[in-house]
Amino acid sequence: MLEIKNLHATVHGKEILKGLDLTVKAGEVHAIMGPNGAGKSTLGYVLAGREGYEASAGSVTFDGKDLLTLTPEVRACEGLFLGFQYPVEIPGVSNLTLLKAAVNARRKYRGIGEIEATDFLAWVRERAKIMKIDPKMLSRGVNEGFSGGEKKRNEILQMLVLEPRLTILDETDSGLDIDALKIVADGVNAMRSPDRATVLVTHYQRLLDYVKPDFVHVLAGGRIVRSGGPELAIELEEKGYAWLEAA
Amino acid sequence: MNPALASYAEAFERFTAVVPAPQRAARRERLNEFLKLGFPHRKVEDWRYTDLSTLATGSFINASDATDSLSGAFLPRTDRLVYINGHLDKTQSTADELSDWIAGDDVTGDAVAALNAAFALPGLNLKLGRNATIARTLHIVIAGHPQNSPAMNHQRHRIELGEAAEATIVFDFIGLGDGAHLATHTLDIRLAAGARLQLYRVQNERAGSTLLTRIDARLARDSHFEAVCVDGGSGLARHDLNVELAEPGAEVIVDGLFMPVPGAHIDNHTRIVHAAPHGRSRELFKGIVDERTRAVFNGKIIVRPGAQKTDSEQHVANLLLSRRAEIDAKPELEIYADDVKCAHGATVGQLDETALAYLRSRGIDAATARALLLRAFASEVLDKVEPAALRARLRQQLNLPAGDSLDIAA
Repeated sequence: MLEIKNLHATVHGKEILKGLDLTVKAGEVHAIMGPNGAGKSTLGYVLAGREGYEASAGSVTFDGKDLLTLTPEVRACEGLFLGFQYPVEIPGVSNLTLLKAAVNARRKYRGIGEIEATDFLAWVRERAKIMKIDPKMLSRGVNEGFSGGEKKRNEILQMLVLEPRLTILDETDSGLDIDALKIVADGVNAMRSPDRATVLVTHYQRLLDYVKPDFVHVLAGGRIVRSGGPELAIELEEKGYAWLEAA
Repeated sequence: MNPALASYAEAFERFTAVVPAPQRAARRERLNEFLKLGFPHRKVEDWRYTDLSTLATGSFINASDATDSLSGAFLPRTDRLVYINGHLDKTQSTADELSDWIAGDDVTGDAVAALNAAFALPGLNLKLGRNATIARTLHIVIAGHPQNSPAMNHQRHRIELGEAAEATIVFDFIGLGDGAHLATHTLDIRLAAGARLQLYRVQNERAGSTLLTRIDARLARDSHFEAVCVDGGSGLARHDLNVELAEPGAEVIVDGLFMPVPGAHIDNHTRIVHAAPHGRSRELFKGIVDERTRAVFNGKIIVRPGAQKTDSEQHVANLLLSRRAEIDAKPELEIYADDVKCAHGATVGQLDETALAYLRSRGIDAATARALLLRAFASEVLDKVEPAALRARLRQQLNLPAGDSLDIAA
């Protein structure tokens, strides 16, 4: 599904990713761990097409398509979703407006008509329930006045509503208390299926207790320096990253 | 007399015959005042960014009446006056009896006011007695239909509300085609004690037009005046809004939104004078400006000596859509009383790139994302427009997407 080969990327002229390789197949859950400044967030932004995050070498294909040539919105319509570490607040644009515009953008991309308002609301209401978000909050501006935990739950709600095929969650678990972490994990697990894949970018092993990854990778110095199964995450929790960086 | 203004003197001679005889002498005096003053130019501080001097040689003739169906602009559940090129269109109006010649005004020393006073055709003349209320919103459609040669028309309007009287009035300026056209409008508003007036002034002029409006409102004790001003449209528009809180307890709320289309020039000058204690004023103007458009905002708040306990707020927010866009925004505060609460703020910013990126990351194309953010910016003012049909029309005119009105709680 996702094939990253020798990816180099620069941010403000500084090289952050230095030859990253990663293959994600449908049905898999990958966890990417690593120390601060390793390039974890940069990877998410480069994949999502954020301005200022330029791939300088290498290739990324998503279902065989050259992802790097697509605009951010086309990547999203193709089925890519990035859950942000710091979701933005957009006063004056309600959560429902965003969700509906995003749902209809995908439908338009696939050549089908706009969704009926009642179908849309039922669809959202059901998913808001999973995320334990009061539907009334969705009439407010995007993330406006949401607590840190609510913002993260809202990211997962967007994921559930949009049903991406590939989800990249950038430290969605950071700053969450244990209850919120469980809700987020429930949301992520609800999306697991043989034709979808998830990449969890995280600092801690904690989230992985609730969302069992198939593969764990360590990103350090702009490259994947080690890959393994779930046991690698536990090893990292015990030993830290220093032993890998030194290697 | 400034020889360049000869065409105005000639136009007056042709015009004066239609004016009611008792008004002729006074109007000639105002013409002479105009001819002496000439059009304001950049050296006049109040007109620093809006130069009218080219109008002098415009050789405008008085516009003749024209027919055009304005039914597309009609608002449901309103009574209506329809003016085309300054002339009342009786077939499309439902409140003819409210249209009349208006004599006398006390604005002197202002060239545009003098020009208007000399040439003014009948306009809205609404007088409500004590406790009176107009049953339906009054919709004043003022359409300009360009003619083969540059034409002008001038109108004068008056709204007088007696004690505790109430009215809602929409002044709707509509351009029906491109072409040189000059229109001036003055509106006198007098609110007696406890009266309430909700006024809308909206504008969608076309290229080549010059629209000059001036509103002078005097608020008596505990009266309430609310004005919402929305400018889209092309051409040159200059609006002066002068409000005097003349007696204690008066309140004025002004909301403005301007979003000129390329080539347009929109100048709003507001002046709110707190002349008595316990007055309250709230002013919010928002502007969205792109390159090749020009926008000017000048908002003056004056608190006179003795106007203690005044509570005044003024906020101006501007969004520049391009590096080459330009806005001249100038808030001015003059306070001569010591026990007052006055707040003001002015901001100039750009579209929030982070928000734009966030929306695009969810699959929303750049143009739609931008429109959603512009709508969010404009909503604070547009949501104050209560007649839904008018609000929808303004949204469309400003190229802002319609709201979703999704009710998930239901």
